[in-house]
Amino acid sequence: MHRHPPVSDTAPAAVVVEDLHKRFGELEVLKGVSLTARVGDVITMIGSSGSGKSTLLRCINMLEIPDEGRVTIGGETIGLKKIRNGRSTVPADARQVERIRTRLGMVFQSFNLWTHMTILENVIEAPVHVLGVPKAEAIDRARMLLDKVGILAKADSYPVQLSGGQQQRAAIARALAMQPKVMLFDEPTSALDPELVGEVLRVIRQLADEGNTMILVTHEMGFAREVASKVVFLHQGRIEEEGSPDKVLTNPDSDRVRQFLARHLSGAA
Amino acid sequence: MLELLSFGPNGWGGQLLSGLAMTIAVSVSSFTLGILFGSAGAAAKLSHSLILNGIAEVYTTIVRGVPELLVIYLLFFGGSGAIMAVAGIFGYEGYIEIDAFSIGVVAVGLISGAYSTEVIRGAVQAVPVGQIEAARACGMSRWLILRRVLVPQTMRYALPGLGNVWQLTLKDTALISVTALAEIMRVAHVASGSTRQPFLFYSTAAVLYLLLTTVSTAAFERAERRANRGVRRA
Repeated sequence: MHRHPPVSDTAPAAVVVEDLHKRFGELEVLKGVSLTARVGDVITMIGSSGSGKSTLLRCINMLEIPDEGRVTIGGETIGLKKIRNGRSTVPADARQVERIRTRLGMVFQSFNLWTHMTILENVIEAPVHVLGVPKAEAIDRARMLLDKVGILAKADSYPVQLSGGQQQRAAIARALAMQPKVMLFDEPTSALDPELVGEVLRVIRQLADEGNTMILVTHEMGFAREVASKVVFLHQGRIEEEGSPDKVLTNPDSDRVRQFLARHLSGAA
Repeated sequence: MLELLSFGPNGWGGQLLSGLAMTIAVSVSSFTLGILFGSAGAAAKLSHSLILNGIAEVYTTIVRGVPELLVIYLLFFGGSGAIMAVAGIFGYEGYIEIDAFSIGVVAVGLISGAYSTEVIRGAVQAVPVGQIEAARACGMSRWLILRRVLVPQTMRYALPGLGNVWQLTLKDTALISVTALAEIMRVAHVASGSTRQPFLFYSTAAVLYLLLTTVSTAAFERAERRANRGVRRA
């Protein structure tokens, strides 16, 4: 059976999250989460809905601003400051956040391709306008990436003309076009019809095999086991258990993980 | 009778034509000014600042709640006084008169802007949040997001509403005729008075307005098709 090779403990840290707290109003969604992704790691985050896994992912690229804790990307800690008498937190330097985001590719559950641009325009948008890549070069690279994810023929179509699976593969190409150090996937197959899930998972698996550093939130347990170097189980805003996929998904220490797996492997598998 | 509409020495054709040009000039200027007021108003209403929210709310409430003719009178009779008061603070004591065109453009622009504010605010809110998040996630700055994603996406939702505002603005310019600015309505009024043929001139004015609204409706439909590229038709 396919398994991701283990990543050495001495590999440099790509993403370090320390003691992250996040509240939405009265609800504390993250209650002190720490996590390290090393270069080459493929971390899959699992857990029930509301466990905080998507919020954790979105705090890594500051789409959500954590109330407390630190996020460090490639050795650079994102500066945060308190405003309104400490009641809310904002980035200390918007430029720093923008710069760090260029190193983090994000793939959303609902694709979020820009609907007023063609697929090719979607893929070259950020390289050209954010990184300043010459347009011809960006187009060459975009075509290569679209070929890689198998939708080169759709380059001049608009997102609405594509199936969900094709849109998500285009969104992956868009994220890859920035040549990110880390790819973040937020439930990339949850909005897809079942028969379209496979084509997207194949692309993600290929990226994992190529040694890309990735953090995925997913409900696909079989897939999580195959691609992950590490599986993290979140429960009510805390990490309940983490470790190798074989350990966490086959022989977990926690009863909660055991119950979760019983529900997800029997019922929805 | 048709001689009255001709371009000859006894005809009003030349004046009607320049009235048409004046109506177009006032409409385009007012509508453009209205888009600027509307964008500012929408930004203020959507901001987190309670002060800005309040200012924009007062603006749209007053301008939309008061008869449009009254807004024009207030500016026409109050505008010069207000400007002179401001100039007085800076030590200028002379008489300042603002021309009817500028007053008219500002007055209709304010009215147009109040309606544009609501159209643009609604359109911005209709842009799915994921479109903006995707832009933020790849490191775009606020300005770049505005220019490359938010404005093109907003246009798509705003254009039908702005088309309506344009028609209202075009018709509101007729109200400026009370300031003696020689636009279509004023020319028709003067001509019907001096020829005693009111029906002829007012119906000519109606035809001219219809011409303008028909042409501009077609132009807005074209713009909508362009803005809606990549959207599945219902």
